[in-house]
Amino acid sequence: MNIVRRFLILLSLCTLLSPADATIDDAITSALQAIDPYVKQGYIARDDQWGGDLGLREQKAIPHTLFRGNDYWFLVGTDVDNARLAIHVYDSKGKIAENDSWQKGRFAGARVLAPATGTYYIIVEVTGSTKERTTWAMVYGYK
Amino acid sequence: MNKSRVVYVTTVFVAAISGFAEAPPNHIDLSKFPATQLDDVVVPLPSEVFNVLDKLGTPNWQGELREPIIKNRGERTQIALQLGSVVAEGFVAVEAADKGRVQEIGRDVLELARAIGVESTVLSRTNSIITKADAGNWVAVRRELDGALTDVKNAMIELKDAQLAHLVSLGGWLRGTEVLTSVVQKSYSPDGADLLNQPDLLKYFQERLAGMPSRMRNNLLVAKIQKGLDEISPLINQRITPGSVKRINEITGQMVKAIDSRA
Repeated sequence: MNIVRRFLILLSLCTLLSPADATIDDAITSALQAIDPYVKQGYIARDDQWGGDLGLREQKAIPHTLFRGNDYWFLVGTDVDNARLAIHVYDSKGKIAENDSWQKGRFAGARVLAPATGTYYIIVEVTGSTKERTTWAMVYGYK
Repeated sequence: MNKSRVVYVTTVFVAAISGFAEAPPNHIDLSKFPATQLDDVVVPLPSEVFNVLDKLGTPNWQGELREPIIKNRGERTQIALQLGSVVAEGFVAVEAADKGRVQEIGRDVLELARAIGVESTVLSRTNSIITKADAGNWVAVRRELDGALTDVKNAMIELKDAQLAHLVSLGGWLRGTEVLTSVVQKSYSPDGADLLNQPDLLKYFQERLAGMPSRMRNNLLVAKIQKGLDEISPLINQRITPGSVKRINEITGQMVKAIDSRA
């Protein structure tokens, strides 16, 4: 087997074996970067992260009990260049519940002033990416 | 190509290349959401509930505090439940601005973590709880209590003890709910009662208990907790009345007592 072929096999193996988790820490770093301005505004950032990898247009729903009276910001980030993420929040009946949202390149955010205590669904979606799977991480803050 | 079609194609093209944020649909059908794309329920931190309670008035928090506990320690299941319950107690002590009690709780958390083999994970947190309570920095104490809970659960998951991590969360939820119902009961308001609207969270805990290995499910204390959750379920799955708040308080109170004693 010539060296070029060996290199190509090794390269394809690396691609196959490279788990999504390999960059999850970078995705978390991105998400933490996105929440930073809100922490400066007095939001308490939960010291916990949710994440994984998604294909283009694939969604992930994260059910969460939100409490009426709290003001939440949910932020999502990825380290994949040129990728675009979206995050939106729906109530248990599937009605959009966010008061504000934004999307800037690798980051996106949604704010909810929970009108009632109950289960809400945070929907994360990869809306653009050059990669087959895009690693993402979500964090949130409240006040 | 007519003019409107040109505008449409141009808009789609510009949106595609510029990353233009699409407006989300106003309504989605959650029942059609593929189960594979549905994550586990996020268990809120105690501070998320206490943050709201702060805004509801000024209950007599000192009166909500329990006597110092952790006299009886049983099996790991009981210790895990106690850990969660003690952390939730820490939040009550913070609300009561009781430095001495918060410091005791910091030490209790360390002792329980030691008993379950995750002491090193929370050592710096508990030291910080004690120091910050002494300085009266209550916001920071809350953060450390939240952090201690998260660290303990993560350490258990790393030790392949996810079942115990669920029990830690459940212990915190039970004590938190006992306090919440006690506060709401004393000054009932629909806003206060609304905080108990957590049916999916309750279902999540019920499912976690039901999915435990039989040796854990058959544990007397775990079985008692499971029975209690089954009793709470219909009360939380309907309009929450002063009567149901009282009943939930009684049930959670009995469960917390069972957690503190030898079941």
